[in-house]
Amino acid sequence: MPRDANAVDFWRGFALVTIFINHVPGLWYEKLTHRNFSISDSAELFVFLAGWSLGLLVVRGDKRFDTARLVARLGGRAITIYAAQILITSLAIALLAGTAYVTGNLLVLEWHNAAAVFQEPELTHIGLVLLTHQLGYFDILPLYVVLMVLGPGLALVDRFARPMLVPASLAIYLAAQITPFTAPTWPVPGQWFFNPFAWQFIFVLGFALSRDEGLGHIVRRNIERIRYIAWPIVAMTSLMVLFNWFPDPTKMPEPRLLFLNGKSFLTPIRVVQFLALAAVFSAAYVFIRRIPWLPEFLSILGRNSLNVFCVGSLLSLSGQIIRFLYTGSFVVDTIVVVSGIGLLWLTAWISEWRMRQSG
Amino acid sequence: MGTLAAGLLLASPGRDASAQTAPELPPVPKECGGEGRIYGVPLPNSAVALQQRKKLKIVAIGASSTAVLGGRASRPPLLEQLLEKTIKGLDVEIVNRGFSGELAEAAGERIKLEVALNHPDIILWQVGTNDALAHVPVENFRLSVSNTVRWLKAHNVDVILVGLHYMKQLVKDPYYQGIRKSLGDIATGENVLRIGRYEAMEILDRTAAASGQPEQEAFGLSEEGYNCMAQYIARNITVGLYAKRTTKPPVAPN
Repeated sequence: MPRDANAVDFWRGFALVTIFINHVPGLWYEKLTHRNFSISDSAELFVFLAGWSLGLLVVRGDKRFDTARLVARLGGRAITIYAAQILITSLAIALLAGTAYVTGNLLVLEWHNAAAVFQEPELTHIGLVLLTHQLGYFDILPLYVVLMVLGPGLALVDRFARPMLVPASLAIYLAAQITPFTAPTWPVPGQWFFNPFAWQFIFVLGFALSRDEGLGHIVRRNIERIRYIAWPIVAMTSLMVLFNWFPDPTKMPEPRLLFLNGKSFLTPIRVVQFLALAAVFSAAYVFIRRIPWLPEFLSILGRNSLNVFCVGSLLSLSGQIIRFLYTGSFVVDTIVVVSGIGLLWLTAWISEWRMRQSG
Repeated sequence: MGTLAAGLLLASPGRDASAQTAPELPPVPKECGGEGRIYGVPLPNSAVALQQRKKLKIVAIGASSTAVLGGRASRPPLLEQLLEKTIKGLDVEIVNRGFSGELAEAAGERIKLEVALNHPDIILWQVGTNDALAHVPVENFRLSVSNTVRWLKAHNVDVILVGLHYMKQLVKDPYYQGIRKSLGDIATGENVLRIGRYEAMEILDRTAAASGQPEQEAFGLSEEGYNCMAQYIARNITVGLYAKRTTKPPVAPN
């Protein structure tokens, strides 16, 4: 039986829906998502909650599995996510090629970093398999694969050297900001949109805060006090976004990434704002759960996040193609959003139905 | 070299690179449309970099970097090779920061970060196609691009706008043409270089049709086409480096 609706699954479902909407650029409903008044967006929420879920899995694993079985289980999860990335990338390339073929518009072949796939297929396919070539908007799962590959190591550090976990993650994060360094792309030279050396930090924070001991314990004990600090941060940063009150990046001192707002490097301002936002909204679920159907609707998406994310990525690309072919208008956008969210729910429902069938 | 000579606004002695002798440019192959359009728009900040450091740092922003930089993705960009071959002793560094699917507004914000982090002399910005595909309102697009161009000028960074693709299916699309016109207007109004990929592709397409040849793919979707694009940009950068500063906008590249 699937678990009941809960806050983690609810917010994960929320993140999946907003990622789906935000990945259709130009969509009218995009302006309703929280990134319009928040420095961080659904990507931070998704990765943080992925770390949180891993933390819960490891806690449950502590009771049921020895170390070797836990590591094997987490490694298996990384392989599943990798396979999902390869599958959805192949389908996305076919979608672009199919659209170009049907419409006769070769421009579509250059969309979303796909040009190299058609121009230099030998090397680019190696890059796709190595995750060093990523299509636009298909770049979160490669990060997730890397984070889940780190999962067994994370579980081991958590089991045998827990106090080292967050400081070690912070040290790698700061080194990536100060040096700066990131993962390169190949064969097209460039860099990963989501720098894994930076983004691992928010994943580890999610992992650590999910636990009842250590940092998680400290935060739970002091959450009311933390919210007093978090509220002004959330309010102030919302004003910064709404009125574009960001300082000129060229006027910032070195090392500049520590003072800039950059998504690829998940700069400190984004981490601080996200944590403040999470502290404030962690109080909201007790009210949200009283709303009819909404908690269950988003929780079922969150419970089946990988399947929903994969289908959502393809639906986002389909939405872009539909908007391109039929001209984006409020009606078209509404059809894209309503049918897209409906299909996300159907994906989650089918996933749970299959689980029920297999017992 | 007739077209080039007309395009080059060779300078009187001054403090910028225009004081130096402009290098001889190799001819653009016939299959790339011959000389093509040389706009003669000066690149004053890059000219200073050329004179003082003999080094040029170009940050490429936009959807399909391979399409603009030329060559195969796995090798050093053709644009870099062409510039270094043409201007003796020049060291060109191309930093590829092309994230695909990015709209002009988001790219504009990221350009500011790249300027702060990489200190480029030139931003090579492939812009417009994604906004056109996403049906961003033309006025929003215009504001995003023109604000970014002004910001770059105020921060002494030259900008080269690489325009939209030519596609037969979109010739009569008023929205696509609106975005294209908007980009041309910005380039004219701000006196910045815009590489007219659309126009070049259109000419090649017409020439091919008139001579009964199959449609060419220059400036898009083939390695040869991408190489043509790189040659076209290299010529315009070279001319821009040695062109005299003008206060008058160039002829509208529409």
